[in-house]
Amino acid sequence: MTAVLPWATLLVCLAITIARIPSLLRGENRVVFYIFALITLDILLSIEGPYLAIDALLGGVNVTNLILRFLLYGTFLLMGIKIAMGFASTSAERAIRGPWGLTVLGITVALTTFFFVITDTRGSTAGMTGLTWGPSMEAYAALGRFYPGYVSACLLPAIWRTIVGRYPALLRAASALLFIGLALLLVSQLFPLIPLVHLWLRSLINYSAVLATAIGLAGIWFSKAFARRKARRTA
Amino acid sequence: MWRRRKINLYLRFGSFLGQAGLARLKYPRKPSMPLPSKAFQRWLHGVAPNASTADVCRISGIKRTTLAQQLVRGKVAESTLVSISRGYHVNPVQALATFDLYADLRGDPVPPTPDELVSQIATMDLLRAVVERSEPGSVSVTGLSPTPHPTAVRNWVDAIDDGELRHRVSEATGIAPQNFSAHLTANRLPPELAIATSRAAGVGPAGGLVAGGLITEAEAGWSPNGRQEALDLMTLGELVTLAGERLQALGKTLRRQEQDHERTERIWENLG
Repeated sequence: MTAVLPWATLLVCLAITIARIPSLLRGENRVVFYIFALITLDILLSIEGPYLAIDALLGGVNVTNLILRFLLYGTFLLMGIKIAMGFASTSAERAIRGPWGLTVLGITVALTTFFFVITDTRGSTAGMTGLTWGPSMEAYAALGRFYPGYVSACLLPAIWRTIVGRYPALLRAASALLFIGLALLLVSQLFPLIPLVHLWLRSLINYSAVLATAIGLAGIWFSKAFARRKARRTA
Repeated sequence: MWRRRKINLYLRFGSFLGQAGLARLKYPRKPSMPLPSKAFQRWLHGVAPNASTADVCRISGIKRTTLAQQLVRGKVAESTLVSISRGYHVNPVQALATFDLYADLRGDPVPPTPDELVSQIATMDLLRAVVERSEPGSVSVTGLSPTPHPTAVRNWVDAIDDGELRHRVSEATGIAPQNFSAHLTANRLPPELAIATSRAAGVGPAGGLVAGGLITEAEAGWSPNGRQEALDLMTLGELVTLAGERLQALGKTLRRQEQDHERTERIWENLG
């Protein structure tokens, strides 16, 4: 099952990204397309086959993993800003793209690069699981989980208010999925506590988080299309 | 006043998990008990002894699947009974009264209070009355629109409320105050709750059924001109004050809907 989940996630994200192309061409909410495209790319780079192929081109020292980290940060920056704006949370928006938020991002990027450089990363393996894990590796991995967790923590209160508020049922359901996805990213901060023999649990949480987030975001889009169609039919 | 404010707070935050959970502990949800299907079938046999289910559905305009489902579940909705009564020209109130749950409805109908009658006049009809009395001849008088109107349930409860009514209804039925308020906001009044509310207020048992739209004012035994007469008895000052209160409440509701709409649109604008 853990072998199927990544591919299933990739397929779902790819499908949503392709479904967004018409809106992209019409110029509607381009950023949402970029978010889905980035998520798809993130997933692609975290799957063994594509990862090894690309990393081989880049010298086989796991630079692809570093790139994946940066792409992830970018994804969460974009997604965080859009969600905070949509859910009308000025405090979340400030915490993500205000001076404080950008400082957090800057420090995360700098430290990620630093720990990558001081670690011996020769020997291409997806998720760098094949390398010997020293303290610097642990720090590198923790940083990669930290920023998505930070953005999620900023967004969760506003999303919760939407789930329990007076909104269309579909929108609330989609928000609930989004909430689950982002909450799982917070749970993933506890990964070091999971014994290494249960690595499958980590990837289960990670991919479930991506799936729930992507389907939740697409659900918000769907709820809009659904409401518009219903309004047109009754008009 | 403080009670009203408290209920508003409940309304605003009532859907919060913690509070709803708390309310569920305090007021365990009693299963809603519509008419038991055995008793219903006995009644139906008395009304239409030789009719098949298909006949009953055709005459009363109920979907066959709906009736079948309710019979199988063992619980028949009051609205089903009312539709069938109308189809067979039986007074729905008397039909309901044959069930123990609606024993309050037995006997002669209790006439509604003037406040109850006025509460069942639509806000726009009240406004028309204000204009007509202030500037006679300037609006076309069309007569009152039939019951129920869009805020009939809340206005009815307000009309019979002595300040402690909501509390007494909660005690008597086990329904949490915020759930009762949610019914008022949605302009819904389950028949069982309507009966319990009028009992707690000491008014005639059929008023809530009229406000909830289950039966018409004529079926409740109200005089055909009752509402108009009660309206005519009000002084202009009383009428304007009442219309003002209604308008204020309507404005609040509309503003809230507009805000909800804006918030929804904002989410869709950014993420849709």
